[in-house]
Amino acid sequence: MASPSLFSFFLLPILLSLSPTLSTNSEGNALHSLRSRLSDPTNILQSWDPTLVNPCTWFHVTCDSNNHVVRLDLANSNISGSLGPELGELKHLQYLELYRNNFGGKIPMELGNLKNLISMDLYANRFEGKIPKSFAKLKSLRFLRLNDNKLTGSIPRELTTLSNLKVFDVSNNDLCGTIPVDGPFGSFPMESYENNRLSGPELKGLVPYDFGC
Amino acid sequence: MVLCAAFSVNFGDDTTDSYWLLRTKSEFVDPVGVLDNWSPRTSLCTWYGVTCSDDQTHVMGLNLSGSGLSGAISPEFSRLTSLQTFDLSSNFLSGLIPPELGQLQNLRELLLYSNSLSSNVPAEIGLLKNLQVLRIGDNMLTGQVNANVGNLTELRVLGLAYCQLNGSIPAEIGNLKHLQSLDLQKNSLSGLIPQEISGCIELQNFAASNNRLEGRIPASIGKLESLQILNLANNSLSGSIPIELGFLSNLKYLNLAGNRLNGEIPSELNQLVQLERLDLSKNSLSGTINIVNTHLKNIEVLVLSDNSLTGSTPRDLCIPNSSLHQLFLARNNLSGNFPLGLLNCSWLQELDLSDNNFVGVLPSGLDKLENLTDLLLNNNSFSGTIPLEIGNMSNLMTFYLFGNMITGSIPVEIGKLQRLSVLYLYDNQISGTIPRELTNCSSLTAIDFFGNHLKGSIPATIGKLKNLVFLLLRQNELSGSIPPSLGYCTKLQNLVLADNRLSGTLPPTFRFLSELFLITLYNNSFEGPLPESISLLKNLSIINFSHNRFSGSIFPLSGSNSLSRLDLTNNSFSGPIPSELAMSRNLTRLRLAYNFLNGPIPPELGKLTELNFLDLSFNNFTGELAPELSNCRKLGHLLLKNNRFSGTVPPWLGSLRELGELDLSYNIFNGTVPTELGNCSRLLKLSLDSNYLSGDIPPELGNLNSLNVLNLQRNNLSGSIPLTFQQCKKLYELRLSQNLLTGSIPPGLGTLSELQVILDLSENLLSGEIPWSLGNVVKLERLNLSFNQLTGEIPQSLGKLSSLHRLNLSNNHLHGQLPPTFSGFPLSSFLGNEKLCGPPLIPCSESKGQERKWLSNTAVAWIIVAIVFTSTMICLVLIYIMLRIWCTWRKISISSSDNEDLGNNRGEEKWDFEDEVRNCDDWNMNTMALVPSQDKQIFAFSCSK
Repeated sequence: MASPSLFSFFLLPILLSLSPTLSTNSEGNALHSLRSRLSDPTNILQSWDPTLVNPCTWFHVTCDSNNHVVRLDLANSNISGSLGPELGELKHLQYLELYRNNFGGKIPMELGNLKNLISMDLYANRFEGKIPKSFAKLKSLRFLRLNDNKLTGSIPRELTTLSNLKVFDVSNNDLCGTIPVDGPFGSFPMESYENNRLSGPELKGLVPYDFGC
Repeated sequence: MVLCAAFSVNFGDDTTDSYWLLRTKSEFVDPVGVLDNWSPRTSLCTWYGVTCSDDQTHVMGLNLSGSGLSGAISPEFSRLTSLQTFDLSSNFLSGLIPPELGQLQNLRELLLYSNSLSSNVPAEIGLLKNLQVLRIGDNMLTGQVNANVGNLTELRVLGLAYCQLNGSIPAEIGNLKHLQSLDLQKNSLSGLIPQEISGCIELQNFAASNNRLEGRIPASIGKLESLQILNLANNSLSGSIPIELGFLSNLKYLNLAGNRLNGEIPSELNQLVQLERLDLSKNSLSGTINIVNTHLKNIEVLVLSDNSLTGSTPRDLCIPNSSLHQLFLARNNLSGNFPLGLLNCSWLQELDLSDNNFVGVLPSGLDKLENLTDLLLNNNSFSGTIPLEIGNMSNLMTFYLFGNMITGSIPVEIGKLQRLSVLYLYDNQISGTIPRELTNCSSLTAIDFFGNHLKGSIPATIGKLKNLVFLLLRQNELSGSIPPSLGYCTKLQNLVLADNRLSGTLPPTFRFLSELFLITLYNNSFEGPLPESISLLKNLSIINFSHNRFSGSIFPLSGSNSLSRLDLTNNSFSGPIPSELAMSRNLTRLRLAYNFLNGPIPPELGKLTELNFLDLSFNNFTGELAPELSNCRKLGHLLLKNNRFSGTVPPWLGSLRELGELDLSYNIFNGTVPTELGNCSRLLKLSLDSNYLSGDIPPELGNLNSLNVLNLQRNNLSGSIPLTFQQCKKLYELRLSQNLLTGSIPPGLGTLSELQVILDLSENLLSGEIPWSLGNVVKLERLNLSFNQLTGEIPQSLGKLSSLHRLNLSNNHLHGQLPPTFSGFPLSSFLGNEKLCGPPLIPCSESKGQERKWLSNTAVAWIIVAIVFTSTMICLVLIYIMLRIWCTWRKISISSSDNEDLGNNRGEEKWDFEDEVRNCDDWNMNTMALVPSQDKQIFAFSCSK
């Protein structure tokens, strides 16, 4: 961690002095507007009080020592509704755990702004539409689990640039086209692609990657 | 008539009007006694409210309006056959409208409005052929508007407003050729507006607002040439505004607000030269504004807010000497610069352009709007500075400029605004200081400068603002101390100075702020003890002084018994928690973490039955947890981390059913983990680590089926890991390390499919084999089973843990071949297992035979020493190089710092290189660090891979 520590010693104070207005409650506002989209039958979002200075004491929200949201756990809670662009405001988010709910609608492309994201678990929901190309911006992403949804379209080729990606699971969706082979995609098991309309590995130059879409 | 005459012959005296009136009197309740002179001994014509016929024998008119009468309307009124005007309005009459009233064939005016009459309007009313005025609104009438109202062809005024009428407006209403006023407001009428309405050719006033009318506005309304008032607001009307409305040349008032109208505003409306008020707000109108003042010369109020209007505002929206008083264009998509044409509106009093896309600077000629009282420009993209001329707008009372991109400083001229009451400049880029002249604005009640770049100190003369209620200066760059005169703003209720660079102590004058309700000072550099006199502030409800350097006792804050939130996190407060805090029975949040507070938790806090959040972490508290605290039944967060609390973990914690987070870590609790904790079914995080807890882990913890995080590490817990843990299906973090746990790892842990952050069972006495099932925990990122007595082979299933990036199986008795996928983990993950082989350890073929093994052991020891030594050297060199590189190319170090990857990396060499450097730095840090972390130690060796 040589560079981060050097960073924090020398650069961080400079950055902080440049932008003193870091402490708006934009993350709390983002989460609150997320809540307004959701139906929460088991009331797990009851503690989300927008009048607090920050969302760090809300249940299912975890912050770092600078009061930035790093983890959102809404898994297994019968939540329905859709995600909105506001989630892209959680710039420090590392873990987005929304699995096993009834989330529907499209996955907002603004999730591609979560540049610190390590894990995105949206599996076992009712998401539809395409996998956003903007996910190619998630350079820290290691785990991307989108399985058991209703996603359509092809696997965006842009994702092959995600060099840290270790787990990629899109099984049980309605994806089409071919399976990428570049970058980290060389190492994912075939189970990650099961039960789609995917037509085998990409054959570069022979067949377009979105063949059959 | 013939029939009535026959009656009067047959019944003699009994049929006189006075006889019948006296009978109706008995139905009234007359608390004021207005009907006292209704008596057989006096002449009928002298009776209260009665107007007689010329021959003094018949009642022509009866006016009992506003006489305080209650009771019912007698059906016997129908016997007053000569009655022409009948007015019972504005009383408290209840019951029905008697159907018999239909017999009053001479009736011209029937006024029953503003009573409590209920049920339907009787159909017999339709028989009153001579009726000219029928006003029965403001009652509790239900049912439909009867179609036979169309028979009342003489009707001039029909008032049915403020009832609960439903159904649709009957088309027969078009038969009322002489109708001048039709008032149907505030009912539940639905359906279409009948196009037959155009038959009411004399109609001057048509009001049907606040109903459920739907469909289009009939174009035929355009034929109502006499119409002066058309109010269809707050219905569900759709479609576009018919251009035919432009024919209503006498129209003075047009209100279509709160419908679902779409399309453009028809330019034909400009023909309405008489129009004084136009309200089209809260629709879905689009296109540009094409209402021009050159035609609408009489317009006084123009409301187009809450639509989807686009484009810029028309140049001639206002002509010189225009009578426009109020112009509301808020919440549209209007763009362009500030509409300079508006500066002609010298009579303008209220201007609302908020929530649009206006850009550019505010015009210096703004002060031409000398009558303006309310100027709302918020939530646009205005830039530039606040014009100095603002000081000339001497009538200005409300000025909203928040949510723009205003720069520059607040002009001192603003101090001339003696009527200014509300000044909201928040969310801009305003810099400079707060001008002292601002404190001349003696009418100011609310100031909000949140989120700007204001520097300097709060004006010392702030105390001149005697009417100030809200002072919000949060998130600026203000420095210096709070001026003592602030204490003289005695009406102050909200004081928000958080997120600044303010310092010094709180002035003792604060004791005069007796209205103060909310005070937030967090993230400043305030210091010193609080003035004791603050305890006089009895209305204080919300206090947030967190992240300052306040010291001394917190007792002065316990004077109010209205506290609902108290946050003093991260200061230097000392001494005990005053038991007087318990006087605030509505206290929901009490946060005192990161101070130097000591003593026990006062048992009186058990009276805080509304308490939801109690955070006393990182203090010097001592003693046992008082049983009285079990009365705080609404506790959701109980955080007592890092203190010196002692005694046992109380079983009553199990009765706190709302508890979501319980953190007792880093204390000196002893005894066992109470089984009752298993009753806290909403618990999400349970941290009892770093105490002296002993005994078995109660199997009841398995009942916590919401639990996300369980941390019991660093205790003296013994026995085996409860099999019931497999029921905690939502666990994503499980730490049981550094205990005395025995037995084998329950295979059921393999069913915890959401385990993600870590499974740490290290430094126990666990034996047996690693269960095959752990290979199912596919989301697991860190697994630490080191320093146990595990035997057997590593199950090949663990090789499937594709998310795993930190693994420590070292110092066990494992043997056999590592799963092939483990080759990327560092050597240190497996050391201390004599019989393990395969990459990254030595190949399995070489590990056979005792001698070789013994030799290889010493060899390993030497290798480690050599590796550590050389890697240290390499690291030092690399760090030096990195420093050099970093100094030269800062950008490189920024980009690489985004990546915190510490695991095995199969990527390009460049990344391997970086990882090594970081890991070595980790190791260097740890040799010097006070608290070496287990995780980091594992990776201290990874430089040597």
